[in-house]
Amino acid sequence: MTSPARTLRSAAWKRYNIRILLLSLLYAAFLLPAVYGFKHKLIIGAVAWIVAVLPAIPIIGIFGAMGRYLVEEQDEYVRMLMVRQMLWAMGFTLSVATIWGFLDNFELVGHVDGYWIVVVWYFGQGIGSIVNKLTLGDGGC
Amino acid sequence: MFAAKQSDLTPAQRAHIRRILRLLLAYAIVLPPLVWLRAHRHVSDAASLAMAIAASLPVLGIFASWGRYLSAERDEYQQSLALRRIAVATNATMGAAIVWGFLQAFGVMPLIETYWVPFVWVVFQGMYGCIDVFSSHRRGNGQ
Repeated sequence: MTSPARTLRSAAWKRYNIRILLLSLLYAAFLLPAVYGFKHKLIIGAVAWIVAVLPAIPIIGIFGAMGRYLVEEQDEYVRMLMVRQMLWAMGFTLSVATIWGFLDNFELVGHVDGYWIVVVWYFGQGIGSIVNKLTLGDGGC
Repeated sequence: MFAAKQSDLTPAQRAHIRRILRLLLAYAIVLPPLVWLRAHRHVSDAASLAMAIAASLPVLGIFASWGRYLSAERDEYQQSLALRRIAVATNATMGAAIVWGFLQAFGVMPLIETYWVPFVWVVFQGMYGCIDVFSSHRRGNGQ
């Protein structure tokens, strides 16, 4: 049986954390100049598209890192916990997006920027972890 | 051909398809009157809230059906294929949402309703399913 302490020290988990850390730094490096540039109207035309998309790339990389972690993780139990967490996150996010979309359509709430979907997804991962803890006794990653 | 394909399905897949068809039927029945009411009658906020939730419920049922299918599927190969398809669709959808989100935030693209996110997810699932079928046919021909 795999103890939670051991799973957190797996080589795949360490590599995953390093990738997430590097991608988060890259995210900050792209986001801050973009926000400054758009706020002071320094960026116009086709460059605006590139600068707006740049902060999204590290976040996409984080999803790629999660996929790679699932491939690299040798402990099947830990991998199953992560997959369950991701499934709960997916179900939660798509449900919130559907409800919010219809509330928006019926003019009860306002439009939101699409990147909030990803924030909700991370929150959903937390829900998945709680469900894992309650049903299997192990929260996972 | 369809009969042969149908017999290839596992019991969990057949149950999942039945649930999805019922939920899509419910969605098709529920949505048009709600849209009509919204467009032609003055509806209070409380009624609008009830209508928005009513329109959402069949779609939420579809996500729940996916969860039920994954826990009911006894064929591990089929289960792993479904998980892979879901993982690819989810990552692609999140990627699209984050790109669109930043384009919105910086005023390059317009704001859209969030129910397009599940729609994109379903499209990516279908695309990956087609690629999967195509590549398995190619593998089959290559052998």
